[in-house]
Amino acid sequence: MRTYSHLWSTTKRSAMAFVIGVSISDRWANFTWVTGESMYPTFTAANSFWGGDFVLAEKRCLEQCKFSHGDVILFKCPSNHKEMLVKRLIGLPGEKIQLPGSLNPTKIPEGHCWVEGDNSTRSWDSRAFGPIPLGLVQGRVTHIIWPPSRIGRLERKMHEGRISPD
Amino acid sequence: MARILAAVWPIVKGCITGGVFGITIADWSASYVTLHGASMHPTFDPQQAERALVDKRCLHRYHFSRGDVVVFRSPRDHRELVVKRLIALPGDWIQIPEKQEIQQIPQGRCWVEGDNAATSFDSRSYGPVPMGLLRGRVTHIIWPPHRIGRVDRKMPEGRIVPL
Repeated sequence: MRTYSHLWSTTKRSAMAFVIGVSISDRWANFTWVTGESMYPTFTAANSFWGGDFVLAEKRCLEQCKFSHGDVILFKCPSNHKEMLVKRLIGLPGEKIQLPGSLNPTKIPEGHCWVEGDNSTRSWDSRAFGPIPLGLVQGRVTHIIWPPSRIGRLERKMHEGRISPD
Repeated sequence: MARILAAVWPIVKGCITGGVFGITIADWSASYVTLHGASMHPTFDPQQAERALVDKRCLHRYHFSRGDVVVFRSPRDHRELVVKRLIALPGDWIQIPEKQEIQQIPQGRCWVEGDNAATSFDSRSYGPVPMGLLRGRVTHIIWPPHRIGRVDRKMPEGRIVPL
């Protein structure tokens, strides 16, 4: 009888811990593997032994929708809802962006943003699929957790001269 | 003091447990929305603020069918949730009434329209919506009491072009 009650309380505790964990990962922060070369040199581990960087993404910024230029964001791919992408946020709604190939700046529509990889030669981003709706954004990458040599905060970095002043 | 704490503790524990389980259920399986506007008339009555039950389990595997009433984040304003009917899924060919043309829905996108075409602001103005914006499927009306009932899957005729 005593083992039974002991077992029950353990079950109860682990169920509670699991539910709290799920809620935290849904609402505040979660961990993701980042693979691929599109964000080199921000994430460098793609070709190393580990095969990717392990990062912390916070989600609280979603509720207040506080995004700034230069943030590294996590979002659902606009052409495949099962895939998540990590890119740098370049332009916010209403801004005009200068594309390397064209003379006229492109205006970003209301509720959309412009994302690009740091490694522009190897990145599939807004230059291919256009501005993405802000509703697809799933979080902001704040820290690198693995590999150990690169643990630390991720800096907000802005490419100069991409946003054209009105 | 210790006695008061001992008396209150089970209540506090119960509230916390309830809250945490409530949040998890709202995030993972079901929640509700309040409906405003006339774009979905006659499925929803614009005269009263109706509440509807949203099923979120379909999100895990993206089990959506043509004719479902879906909730999604507006592509124009990410703070706003919009309720419309899902007309076409990726790869379908759709007939657009105003333009007299046939368009294919790109991969990972879907076509949504309101039941009340005259007052609805939908895919006819902003184009196909990424599936990643979907937030659930409306299954039942739960408020007011005399309107309680299932929301049916309904498909307008002749919109999808068979190829």
